[in-house]
Amino acid sequence: MAPQETDREHIQELVTRNPVLLFMKGNRDAPQCGFSATVIRILDTLIPDYATEDVLQDASLRDAIKTFSSWPTIPQLYVNGEFIGGCDIVQELFANGELHKTLGVEATPDAAPEINVTEAATQALKKILEEQAPDGHTVHLQIDARYGHHLHLAPPAAGEIEIAGPGISLFLDALSASRADGIRIDVVQTPEGTGFHIENPKAPRVSPVTSDELKTWLDGDAAFELLDVRTPEERAVSHIEGSILLTSEEAPRVEALPLDTRLVFYCKMGGRSQSAAEHFAQMGFTDVHNLVGGIDAWLETSGS
Amino acid sequence: MALQIINAGGSDSQEIAERMHKAIAGAIPDAQIEVRPTSTGHFEIRVSSNAFSGKTRVAQHQLVYAAITDLMTGNDAPVHAVDRLDCLVPE
Repeated sequence: MAPQETDREHIQELVTRNPVLLFMKGNRDAPQCGFSATVIRILDTLIPDYATEDVLQDASLRDAIKTFSSWPTIPQLYVNGEFIGGCDIVQELFANGELHKTLGVEATPDAAPEINVTEAATQALKKILEEQAPDGHTVHLQIDARYGHHLHLAPPAAGEIEIAGPGISLFLDALSASRADGIRIDVVQTPEGTGFHIENPKAPRVSPVTSDELKTWLDGDAAFELLDVRTPEERAVSHIEGSILLTSEEAPRVEALPLDTRLVFYCKMGGRSQSAAEHFAQMGFTDVHNLVGGIDAWLETSGS
Repeated sequence: MALQIINAGGSDSQEIAERMHKAIAGAIPDAQIEVRPTSTGHFEIRVSSNAFSGKTRVAQHQLVYAAITDLMTGNDAPVHAVDRLDCLVPE
């Protein structure tokens, strides 16, 4: 049976509107199948922002996309309206560097990045290498497109850059290396335990703001944008006075504001608003904040 | 004992394989087609056609998948998965 014409139009509209769009099971933060998760990992490595459509939320979309693409499986990646492929093909294009080109990603660090590993961190890494790593394994640092930092142990891989420091060598792939200059790796003790702390001067900054702080900002004279990134339905239940719903009509106005405008984002619990805040930080906004705990925390604070 | 798979495909699977064969032949007239059931609802397909000439692997697969989409869509689709699809251009 042919897909309903409305489904076809809906999909055409989706792939036209979103430069990079992944039809998947689940979403970026919680993929619901291994193939979708693999493609998410690859996209996260390459680009900070892309759209996803969860076919598990919409049975008619799940069928219609298969006909639309002439492709029987999910996930399916579209770039600039063009079908790229499913999981196998995306992996293949990632491995041979084609996907980098398709997505306009350049991985050409001019020089080896300067990485500063503190004495404590060096000792800790050496200890982990000696005690936990099989022979031939080294320490790898991966930095994804959202400047998430990941350390892991593995044998050196082709194309990696070795940064030899006093006492320890770090291995980075080319993309991570291009995001690594000026990094400082330290060890910190927190109530949750001891762990590595990585400061990256290149990472776009989103600062947390607590409900109490936000209250003083709202009571103060300085103007700022308080942006609600939830759905209209959620907003109808409750919202913070003085906030604006960040709709697709509203977003261009915010994007056009001076880059030093203070932006504060909130959602229900702080997850979606963190993504939105990072998006604006990556656009160059320098005073970007995320409400810790979202409106749930806000209501609790103002209620007590 | 032989490496025999009990559910490697009975008459139902053969019948579905024939429907797939027909559908692909309808879409790609010059194609040499093999459809092999591997287990219930699972198939391996091998298609050789000049229609694949100069096409990317994605586009080649799309040609075949487009022909059998109807058999793969919906909750009670007879074809659950294509475990392997080889597209060849004849020498």
